[in-house]
Amino acid sequence: MFSRRDFFKQGLLPVFAGSAVPSVFANGVAAAAADSPSATPSDRVLVLVQLAGGNDGLNTVIPFQDGAYHDARPTLRQDQGVLRLNAQLGLHPNLKGLKASWDAGQLAIVQGVGYPNPNLSHFASMSIWETASVQGGIGDGWLGRYLNYLDQVGESPNHALEGVSAGSLVPPELRSKTPVTALQSLRTFRLQPVSEHGTQVDVENPLMKFYGAFKSAGPAPFGALLDTTLQEALQASHALQATDASYQPKAPYPANSPIASSLKLVAETIVSGLGVRVAHVTLGGFDNHAREKAVHDKLLLDLDQALAAFMQDLQGHGLGDRVLVMTWSEFGRRVKENGSAGTDHGTAAPMFLLGAPVQGGLYGQQPSLTDLDNGNLKFGTDFRSVYASVLQDYLKAPAADLLGGNFEILPLLKA
Amino acid sequence: MEDAPTTMSSTARRPIWQRPVSRRAVLATGATGAAAAALAVLWKGNDLSQILNQVRDLTHGYQGALTSERVRMAHLLRRAGFGATRTELDHYVAMGQTAATEAILNYTKTSNAALESQLPTIDLGSSTPPTAAAIQSWWLQRMTLSARPLEEKMTLFWHGLLTSGLDKAGSAQLFTQNQLFRSMALGNFDELLKAVSKNPAMMVYLDTETNRKGKPNENYARELMELFTTGIGHYTEDDVRESARSFTGWTLQGGKQLRYATASQFVPRLHDAGAKTFMGKTGTFTGDDIVEMLVPLRATAVRLSTRLFSFFAYPNPDQEIVNHLADTFQKTHYNVGAVLREIFTIDAFYSDKAYRSLVKTPAELVAQTLKATGANAKTYTAAAVAMAPMGQVLFYPPNVAGWPGGTSWINSSTLLTRINFANAATQRGQGSLAAQSLGQLSDTLLDANVSPTTRDGLQSFEAAHPDDRTGLLFMVLATPEFQLN
Repeated sequence: MFSRRDFFKQGLLPVFAGSAVPSVFANGVAAAAADSPSATPSDRVLVLVQLAGGNDGLNTVIPFQDGAYHDARPTLRQDQGVLRLNAQLGLHPNLKGLKASWDAGQLAIVQGVGYPNPNLSHFASMSIWETASVQGGIGDGWLGRYLNYLDQVGESPNHALEGVSAGSLVPPELRSKTPVTALQSLRTFRLQPVSEHGTQVDVENPLMKFYGAFKSAGPAPFGALLDTTLQEALQASHALQATDASYQPKAPYPANSPIASSLKLVAETIVSGLGVRVAHVTLGGFDNHAREKAVHDKLLLDLDQALAAFMQDLQGHGLGDRVLVMTWSEFGRRVKENGSAGTDHGTAAPMFLLGAPVQGGLYGQQPSLTDLDNGNLKFGTDFRSVYASVLQDYLKAPAADLLGGNFEILPLLKA
Repeated sequence: MEDAPTTMSSTARRPIWQRPVSRRAVLATGATGAAAAALAVLWKGNDLSQILNQVRDLTHGYQGALTSERVRMAHLLRRAGFGATRTELDHYVAMGQTAATEAILNYTKTSNAALESQLPTIDLGSSTPPTAAAIQSWWLQRMTLSARPLEEKMTLFWHGLLTSGLDKAGSAQLFTQNQLFRSMALGNFDELLKAVSKNPAMMVYLDTETNRKGKPNENYARELMELFTTGIGHYTEDDVRESARSFTGWTLQGGKQLRYATASQFVPRLHDAGAKTFMGKTGTFTGDDIVEMLVPLRATAVRLSTRLFSFFAYPNPDQEIVNHLADTFQKTHYNVGAVLREIFTIDAFYSDKAYRSLVKTPAELVAQTLKATGANAKTYTAAAVAMAPMGQVLFYPPNVAGWPGGTSWINSSTLLTRINFANAATQRGQGSLAAQSLGQLSDTLLDANVSPTTRDGLQSFEAAHPDDRTGLLFMVLATPEFQLN
């Protein structure tokens, strides 16, 4: 538990932390980063928060004045404590941190986001969002393509930490030729030493040789995959060991909250100046077909508290201007609740964009709750419009090339 | 082969899985082409011996590895089970391939008493359910020590296909489901699906326990088609809704605690007995009726056959192989054991394409490592925990589609974890294998088939550290070859 005094003491630290970041660049891994002149966009970090399972948009950004909402949700409707955004809409009562960001002009809410011919399969729809292609499939992820673009234009060093995800898997939206590191802890991300009679034995060099030989001798695609993966792992671990100890969180993260741990890890990689450009975290559990209320309330509370700590931490480190958070989910839920006090798979839902770079406000149209398609909302804003806006206005990347088409740019970000 | 498809036009043409690969042709083209390319790239003033070493690695191939009877048996035991100890490998090699394959398939004739007597008791009668760690280490110990490797491997297959997880269901429910998978592992698919539909872990995981007349819940109905049977593209949203109605009526039995109930019951008044229209047919269907309509569909046969072959042999099988397996499935009243018998006996299973064509899953990696290092009760508990950062927690698949598998097992984080696990496991090993020579370790764990650089490196390590058997075993387990299956 942080005392108020501790907090204020820590609040003085950004001055020193700010001067520590360049020194990391000077000596460590990120030496490669120093080779290319660091343009402003390359300092920017996009943090994706995936709400896996299909978040109930109507119980996240709530049309609390709409009679149709109350009719469709006899047990699930939020009657009490909605955090008003305007006369019609309010945030779920547990989203107090997001409401504070809204009040500070740092939360953009895009309403009714979806795509044509919605797919109600989790996996098909996830794939559509991940590849930014309404066919879905196994191609590169839309942010994998962005990382790849950075390499091609020489704007980023091709090192293993420019794309990171918290967890044990690399998420499909970051997938491309460009390496991405799945991180679970900066401290354990290393080869553990092997010792014999108290003397450390060098295993790293022999293993590099084994894997190097296997690159050509081993079966495709695994020979090359294992070799490049080991190289990336050792490169990243050397980088992490050089910077490990410097990070001190400047906000209290909630305990026993996986999403808070994930975001704290992302903050640590950003603060440590490791050159991360895109980070991914996942909060799962949104597929609430039954007894939704208790589960969903808790998920939103965890999300909100973790995001609040994350934003406060980054601001404390003087990095708030460099970080944009964006949430997404494969779909929303059916308008009418089912008989299990839950909701079945639906379509359009809101997205959040959070942080100092954001031009706060509501974007897009709130979908009608009575003009439905098979009981589901009709989308108003294509998710690729949101992607395009972030790519063009925040990451300064060629959105149309990376998305394979032109999509309307929304003024979500400050000029 | 009497079951061979009759659609082949050319009489002389053998089915693809029976066509032999010309080892010499592959070696010749591979070696000369790669050698020339290697020399062209490398001849830039490097030290000659260095270049020759690299050429040697470039031209080293694994083609033909499976011509060795011992390697074939090790391959079969890796795929149909979790690898083998030296003793196990000797035992099956001595039986000969045909008898060994039969023994592996007809495992009910093999006593598992030695394993059962060692396993900790999982008590479902007590008021508190077992811990997640208890059932995870229990299963990992089974994988490591079972005398019926295929029984455990198929239990893992079903767990990854007909998923349920600790994020929603309780540990006692998942333990019960695990026993169900084991008892029906090689049986008929329609019977398994009917049982799983009423299994408490599944009923909680996909919400059928709340699916009532007048209040249908689509969750199970959708995944039954999308993931368990036909796959996407073979049904409509209306079929999802009508199927959900058909599955109404099953509820959990006893106790008030949702996550504790380990039995289910049919309550007629909760079942929607009205007419439903499902895939063009109309009737007063039950859930069993829906299963009986889905399982005979060709799409189900093709999808399950592809999944089984990809799990046991190699990914993306040719259409001919899939059709052959799907035919077998349909002709045998959906018998999974019959499909497995085909998989383990067709040539494709022992082809160069199959050799080391799969990444060891964390379960396979950990179980085979523990076979090599030896383990005690604490080791299994620790090892089950160590699987999490490798990307696989038993009884806790990432979502209803199970583990994505394949290349997704390998990223920088998981690879370091895998190598670090080998380090930890060898350091706390029980010594049974540490006395083995490099030749023996390589034979049991690497098919005595590694790149020349790795072979030389392991020999150098042994020469430099002659009394460090733990370090040597670590080096063997950390090789790229061992990461594959």
